[in-house]
Amino acid sequence: MMQAQEIMTQNVVTISGSATVAEAVKTLKEEGLRALIVERRSDSDPYGVITETDIVYKVAAFGHDPKKMRVYEIMTKPCVIVNPNLGVEYVARLFANTGIRCAPVVKEKLLGVISINDILNKSDFVEKPKSEFELYCEENPSALEARIYD
Amino acid sequence: MLTARDIMITNVATISGSATVAEAVKTLKDKSLRALIVDRRSESDPYGIVTETDIVYKVAAFGHDPKKMRIYEIMTKPCIVVNPDLGVEYIARLFANNRIRRAPVIEGKLLGIVSISDILNKGNFVEKPQQLYLEDRLDAAREEARAVCAAKGPTSPECAAAWDEVEELQAEAAHQRQEKKALNSLEAFCAENPDAEECRIYED
Repeated sequence: MMQAQEIMTQNVVTISGSATVAEAVKTLKEEGLRALIVERRSDSDPYGVITETDIVYKVAAFGHDPKKMRVYEIMTKPCVIVNPNLGVEYVARLFANTGIRCAPVVKEKLLGVISINDILNKSDFVEKPKSEFELYCEENPSALEARIYD
Repeated sequence: MLTARDIMITNVATISGSATVAEAVKTLKDKSLRALIVDRRSESDPYGIVTETDIVYKVAAFGHDPKKMRIYEIMTKPCIVVNPDLGVEYIARLFANNRIRRAPVIEGKLLGIVSISDILNKGNFVEKPQQLYLEDRLDAAREEARAVCAAKGPTSPECAAAWDEVEELQAEAAHQRQEKKALNSLEAFCAENPDAEECRIYED
């Protein structure tokens, strides 16, 4: 099974929670990104994320001035994070269950960001769809049901 | 106010509702798109949409075989459509209220598609934030001020405060209107005939 680290985007840009939304918009435009990771304040602080959807739903839709609003007012923190070894099918299921579209990939430190778009464009779910039973067998090759008799 | 027409993408791909999901994935990848519009079956049929999120949430997440699943099983139809003249701030509010991220732009026929990214990248909400319903709020504040002044007396501090609020909203509304304010007929005449008598400005 393909893993999150194989399809994630490694170009990650972070922003401070105290930055203005206008700064976030500028960074998103310049970098051609759809989400920024919110920097941790310390090692025990959780990761946060701010997406273009947050900005449009919570700022543009209400005519608030992005120069006067701060990232911490609209970010999602703590956010769902993904382990680099997580299988792509499980990332898809996690996203579907939690209704999210992107998440930082973290193991000790920030490694990348994985999004719906990465799953669609880089994973092999079309060529090799994995049913739940197949996933189970891959994880438990010695289970009774998973044995293949030649 | 910028409108849907100004920010939409006109490079739209359509797909049949009976196509397989695998075909949709191929088209999305080939054209670097994030959504396809589902063809109407007739003039009276509504528009539909299938997005990358639909495919990941409903197919990839369950390990279903995209070659065996059809668009009609996962599409959103009828979908919300946007008029090309709708202002960008109203599109943002429509999207937020309905939790959607993109919609086809339609007037008679399919003109384009507008998405959250278009609003962010091509909208002017950072430079010129537009508050919606400002005129409605102004009407309400005016009624409120009249009621307060009638109850507390026209010289009461409450009355003054209420009218201050009206004034503030009025200033805000005037500020927002400024850009598209049309010339009145005299201004239009003077712009064309700056030397006419009526157009002279006396500076004393």
